[in-house]
Amino acid sequence: MMRRVQLLSALFFLFFAAKGQELDSLFGDSLQLQQELIRQQTVANLSFQFRLLEEPDSGLDSLFHFQQTDSGWVSEKELNWAKLDSVYGILADYNPRLEYVIYQEIAGQNGLKNYLKTLIRTGDFVPGYYPDANTVDLVLEASKDVFQPLHEYKLRILADYKLFWVTVIVLFFLITAALMITSMLIFKSRRNKREQLKKEYDELIIEPLTSLLFEKDLEEIKQITKSDIIDLFPEKLFAKPLFKQVMIERIIGLNKKMKGDFKDKLKAFYKTAGLMEITRRNLESNRWDLITTGLVQVNEMDLSELLQEVKKHTNSSNFHVRSQSGATLLNVSSTVNLDFLRDQKYPLSEWQQLNYLRIIKFVHNTKSLELDKLFASENPSVRLFGIKLVRMLGRLDLLAGLRELSEKASDEEKIELLETYGTTGAHMEVDFINACIQSANPEVQLAAVKVAGQLGDERSLQLIIELFAQNPDFELKKSLMRSMKLLDSETFDRYTQDQYSEEIIQLRAHILDPLLTHV
Amino acid sequence: MYNFLFYFLIEVFGVLFMILSFGTVLIYFIIMVLSALEMRDFRRKNRFADYQDIITSPIAPGVSIIAPAFNEQANIVQNAQSLLSLHYGKFEVIIVNDGSKDSTLQQLVDSFELVKTAFAYHPEIETQAVRGVYRSSNTSFRRLIVIDKENGGKADALNAGINVASMELLACIDVDCILANDSITRMVRPFMEETNRKVIAVGGVIGIANNCDVKDGTVTQYRIPESTLGRFQVIEYFRAFLMGRMAWSRVNGLMLISGAFGFFKKDLVKAVGGYFPKTVGEDMELVVRMRRYMEEKNQKYRVAFVPDPLCWTEVPEDEAVLSRQRNRWMRGTIETLQLHRKIGLNPRYGFFGMISFSFWTIYEKLAPILELLGIAYTLVLVIIGDFSAVYFFALLTMIYLLSLLISVFSILYEQISYNNYKDKKDLRRLIWIILIEPFVLHPKVVFWGLQGHLDFIMGKGGWGKMIRTGFKSAEDKKNIQTQTGA
Repeated sequence: MMRRVQLLSALFFLFFAAKGQELDSLFGDSLQLQQELIRQQTVANLSFQFRLLEEPDSGLDSLFHFQQTDSGWVSEKELNWAKLDSVYGILADYNPRLEYVIYQEIAGQNGLKNYLKTLIRTGDFVPGYYPDANTVDLVLEASKDVFQPLHEYKLRILADYKLFWVTVIVLFFLITAALMITSMLIFKSRRNKREQLKKEYDELIIEPLTSLLFEKDLEEIKQITKSDIIDLFPEKLFAKPLFKQVMIERIIGLNKKMKGDFKDKLKAFYKTAGLMEITRRNLESNRWDLITTGLVQVNEMDLSELLQEVKKHTNSSNFHVRSQSGATLLNVSSTVNLDFLRDQKYPLSEWQQLNYLRIIKFVHNTKSLELDKLFASENPSVRLFGIKLVRMLGRLDLLAGLRELSEKASDEEKIELLETYGTTGAHMEVDFINACIQSANPEVQLAAVKVAGQLGDERSLQLIIELFAQNPDFELKKSLMRSMKLLDSETFDRYTQDQYSEEIIQLRAHILDPLLTHV
Repeated sequence: MYNFLFYFLIEVFGVLFMILSFGTVLIYFIIMVLSALEMRDFRRKNRFADYQDIITSPIAPGVSIIAPAFNEQANIVQNAQSLLSLHYGKFEVIIVNDGSKDSTLQQLVDSFELVKTAFAYHPEIETQAVRGVYRSSNTSFRRLIVIDKENGGKADALNAGINVASMELLACIDVDCILANDSITRMVRPFMEETNRKVIAVGGVIGIANNCDVKDGTVTQYRIPESTLGRFQVIEYFRAFLMGRMAWSRVNGLMLISGAFGFFKKDLVKAVGGYFPKTVGEDMELVVRMRRYMEEKNQKYRVAFVPDPLCWTEVPEDEAVLSRQRNRWMRGTIETLQLHRKIGLNPRYGFFGMISFSFWTIYEKLAPILELLGIAYTLVLVIIGDFSAVYFFALLTMIYLLSLLISVFSILYEQISYNNYKDKKDLRRLIWIILIEPFVLHPKVVFWGLQGHLDFIMGKGGWGKMIRTGFKSAEDKKNIQTQTGA
């Protein structure tokens, strides 16, 4: 690398040294310099004049407009250096002295050299430039060359890159828009066709399926072979996925409406027709929506054979998968084990709780549910759900478990516990209620005051009176007054009648209005 | 010097318009992709949702439906009956008679056997005076509450309803809207599904009921409106709801929930001070303020969107009425963005401040002005002889095709998801509207938007002088004072 730099430096040195020598020879010889000026014809602001020591005759004077000075007669300034030789020839008999004039000042040889060097630096004077000769040469040279354009484009659009890209985008849009409109029309017609096909398939399925359910008993259905199925349904259609999909939907639809034997028959047919394999494939899929579809099929058709596959999805990161797998386990498993719910890593949403509650409500009379397991969960949302379940299922037998939980309950759990005690009428928990009335958390306090109206004792009333005396905010004051009335009407009257406070008068009227009992 | 400056500005504007054009193309492509993904996911999720359980489940949240009414005597009873017949277990209907000058209140009292109660009205959010709270002595109408108050505008009426509401969720609607029977069950679902962040509000799709058959509060036969303006709004609503809001919902960037149909968390609405009655864009302003509140509290939250067609309304088919509506929308947007300008490009507000707010500023608030500038720029180019017809028509074609593409995409969504307009003639008519819209209807929309800007500058429908106490920070109040010059 260094050697290359050195080599380049040497080349640059040689180039500039040669250039310097060329200029030195030009300015070293005044005759050569004059020839150069003659060749250039004009040089910016550089003119010449001749000085004569004796008076020229009138003919010359009229030609060159001589002016008499102290040191002789001076011709007028001439800018065209091409005339130098001819003028000199005319004046030769008078032994004329050539003078260089830069702007309006006479310059010596050195002055001229310095001026020309400056012009060379600025590019206004190029030694060796011959204007007349160049014009001719360029045309000649050009005429010898065959024209070749720099960019070999045939269209203007391709020569202008901005226009090119705009055109590309426009074309892209045009094509996309055309495709969109076409695909929209195709999609619409396909969709209509698909809907029509589904209707047709449904009609083809419903009749043989119904007759199968009514004409054959369970054992016969279990022994149905593939050829029997082909007799019932067209072979070509049965091979089509859409046909099987419609069949599954139809069987699930019938299964929801039917009871007893018919459910068993449908389940048996579901298996013998090979539809369970579709469900299994769905459960093993990588797509969450297919897995969920499989879970729904297991749930609806009570396919307990696939429970192991279902269990794999209880802690899935996908909300819908884990939610549906939980619901399926609760519904299908003969021995419901709530361990999967207790060990849930993810928070339990209200949507999941709603689904689980529906199933638990349905199965809790027939299956042994160990709901108290949920109180021990490390997941706060599961514990909260456990408390709600006690309230919603009316499981008074689990109140002891709740008391244990209440000892280390969070504020959110305390509110849920208070509501549960209120709903179940748990008078024995009055100490917990009274403790909550004194809570620093206003939400816990409000919930406790509300419950105290139903379950409170004398101590509760005392606490309510104390709080009321502190003039709390509107909402709490309303609850305090309502609970006070429920616990002891006389105390309520004593504290709210004949009041000057407009707010208390309004609240009293509100509480006493029968149309506003729960508002 | 001036010559140089003039040409320099021409160059700068040229570059800016070029960036804006290509930016628009890029952004709308992103919106199309995001909305497609969201629609796909929504449809998949919907397959597994059983909404029947919510109706009776004790776990489902309670909903207070608040419907302000002003001079609605013609349909108020029918509308109230329609709301009372919604399929849901835990809900109340609060109709706020906002100082009607006709017999709206009397009609309600007579039809629902209402009695004035001793309700202790506590104006947690400041409102105009409440004259009385009515409830029915007939238990069949136990869900109905009617508030009679002094006139204060829609936002003020909604605030009165919020003060009286006793349920966990608020459904703020226009009283003349037609709601599907299962609208509440579908709208509460996002509130119930989320576990790791709080859903603060849920918006729904507004469908156009003009020319449709309605039976028992539900649209039974869909037809596109007869007029060009009506049909244009069908396309516009598809674009806004099925594309725009779906896409913004995907990235949790929604800034607007339609005032005609929106669900909110009551505790949060109260925490931010309710609706702001001094703006005509109270629906957008509330959502922006709620989001701002959550961002400032550093709490995880989401504004969700349900693309099911659950609410229908009649749109104006008269040009004068439509122009007033668009003018009002524009003023509402300007007022909201102006009031909360602190959010714009502020990294503290994350995606909401950096992207959503900026998008609304450029593509909603400034769009008419930018279009006007574009026209002026083209004229200047023509005058100075620097106009390139090839570029002009190329860019015009590009933007025209983009508009075409977006509109077609939104119709495609409708066809995929709901397929409500089954008649092929309707589809062909909509395609025709798409083709003519950029030349026939869009210029009018731009003009109405510009009028909105002008009216805002002239102080029509501005903030007014009263500053409500709902705003929490002193800076907000200062901002409003700057606007009003108070």
